[in-house]
Amino acid sequence: MRMRLKLKTVFVLYFMVSLLGLIYALMQLGQRCDCRDHAKSKDQQISQLRGELQKLQEHIKTSQLSKKTDVPRIYVITPTYARLVQKAELTRLSHTFLHVPQLHWIVVEDAPQPTPLVTDFLAASGLTYTHLYKLTPKDRKLQEGDPSWLKPRGAEQRNEGLHWLREMGAAAKGKEAAALEEAVVYFADDDNTYSLQLFEEMRYTYRVSVWPVGLVGGMKFERPVVEDGKVVRFHTGWRPNRPFPIDMAGFAVSLRLILTNPQARFDGDAQMGFLESSFLQHLVTMDDLEPKADLCTKVLVWHTRTEKPKMKREDALQKQGLGSDPDVEV
Amino acid sequence: MPKRRDILAIVLIVLPWTLLITVWHQSAIAPLLAIRKVCHHLVKEILIIPERLTIHRQRLADDGTETRHDTGPATDSKEYCSQDKDIVEVVRTEYVYTRPPPWSDVLSTIHVITPTYSRPVQKAELTRLANTFLHVPNLHWILVEDSQRRTPLVTRLLRETGLNYTHLNVETPRNYKLRGDTRDPRIPRGTMQRNLALRWLRETFNSNSSQAGIVYFADDDNTYSLELFEEMRSTRKVSVWPVAFVGGLRYESPKVNAAGKVYGWKTVFDPHRPFAIDMAGFAINLRLILFKPQAYFKLRGVKGGYQESSLLRELVTLNDLEPKAANCTKILVWHTRTEKPVLVNEGKKGFTDPNVEI
Repeated sequence: MRMRLKLKTVFVLYFMVSLLGLIYALMQLGQRCDCRDHAKSKDQQISQLRGELQKLQEHIKTSQLSKKTDVPRIYVITPTYARLVQKAELTRLSHTFLHVPQLHWIVVEDAPQPTPLVTDFLAASGLTYTHLYKLTPKDRKLQEGDPSWLKPRGAEQRNEGLHWLREMGAAAKGKEAAALEEAVVYFADDDNTYSLQLFEEMRYTYRVSVWPVGLVGGMKFERPVVEDGKVVRFHTGWRPNRPFPIDMAGFAVSLRLILTNPQARFDGDAQMGFLESSFLQHLVTMDDLEPKADLCTKVLVWHTRTEKPKMKREDALQKQGLGSDPDVEV
Repeated sequence: MPKRRDILAIVLIVLPWTLLITVWHQSAIAPLLAIRKVCHHLVKEILIIPERLTIHRQRLADDGTETRHDTGPATDSKEYCSQDKDIVEVVRTEYVYTRPPPWSDVLSTIHVITPTYSRPVQKAELTRLANTFLHVPNLHWILVEDSQRRTPLVTRLLRETGLNYTHLNVETPRNYKLRGDTRDPRIPRGTMQRNLALRWLRETFNSNSSQAGIVYFADDDNTYSLELFEEMRSTRKVSVWPVAFVGGLRYESPKVNAAGKVYGWKTVFDPHRPFAIDMAGFAINLRLILFKPQAYFKLRGVKGGYQESSLLRELVTLNDLEPKAANCTKILVWHTRTEKPVLVNEGKKGFTDPNVEI
């Protein structure tokens, strides 16, 4: 009898204790246990992230992207060739292009096939691009030690770009063909410097538009001279009697004009300084030129040139077989 | 009858404990789970935004065969949401057309110090540099002119870019610029300007502020990749990486051992300098700059190539250096130099209109 009583008491006590414990735990719950502290900093970060997300979403709504979907496209043709500074030049050029809406970059390598450096670079750039290649024939190519002005550079590559545009233009239909009607083509060398405003100036070109170019022709800038809204002559210190004494970076051509003039191309055999003229004279007269950049009074593009880096120590090391790791891409 | 009682007893014992345990678990784990879920969701959202923008762009371009976009490696949001890692670097520089990117409260600020001086290519150099900087979030550009007064050219340029900037100026005294005798009182170009920027930082920020900042010296003619700025953001003291086209080599780089520590310099030109590195090859945490207020670039008596060492040796030892760029195996910055344009046709009086700014 005593035993049973003890057991019963034990059970009852046990039951009471567990009930009390449960009530205690429930009360704890209502009080927000201290494991919250551990999660507090995470909470802060979450709210910060939330704030940023909101800001980003607002930014998307107001960004130019949503507005600039229906502006004319700009096709930029850039000839490029392998040398030490190539990747650097293309990198900083891509940083400029990334700011320009509706820009399609046509990169044409002077090579027998696409190089991995340019292929990988373009894929990672974030730009809309077309990667082409065309090797300059040996007799037209500049040799080591030749001054840069001896033979026109990039003619074959630019022609290849034009050829691609013409093929694309012929194959386009419907809405795409309508978009091409308004598109503009610009020839951008990989070592020049372009301001963002330049692209907005050239975007609305009916035939050929022109503007000043800085640091070219042995002068601070070269420019077309405008009177009554028309180009009457060119202000340049070097051979002003060329049909178009203007630098490659100083004009843009409407795609329509290029497609309707299939014979217009750059003459690789042209005399020094006549490369631009060899192309433009098929397309337009001076009278038809459209002056931009505040009637050709502002400089929005500079003909900068990058020094060839001195490699004398590298060359010395290479001779000893101790050159820098060729697997590291520069 | 005892059977029923037994069952009742067992139930009465087990029930409260099960309830207790379940409720307790719920209370402890639920908040953490919720946070995890929210964190994952948010990170995914933030990373999706650039993808959405790229897709949008793709639809616009509508070119079909030739267009190609790379949205970068998809990051597993687990990386950001694990318990011990800080949630950093969630805003990636992959979206375009936004200039500059919105200021983030989570990323540390990169203070870029650029000395500059007037010459024909100045506006071009600053323009393309600005075009690069406009892609980097939380960038503060400190441009210091080597001039008596702040020039209108630079003032206008800075204002039009829309960047977050500070415009300073200090003129290097003429005799220090031009002379080059045996005692060489020449101050290396840009030193006074960089020192002024350091002094400005020390006057503007105090050590107690929680502002996380990184200081980087960027010359106006070099070329910087966008990846470089993300690499330097995690600098704790001083971080280093390779630089192309310096020292007469394809690139110079720090020597990194298997433990990930810098133990030497892979250069030909005086590799025994305390810090055989170019100005563009390192970044310093702002806290360290504020902590050592006496550390400046040495003005005079500095041998060629020792300028960087004159500052760094007052801040860190070799052991403290943090190698970046995949343990110093990738090139993210190029020491390009722009040719001086030959303005032969300007003549003595100047052929072109001097009022047109170039």
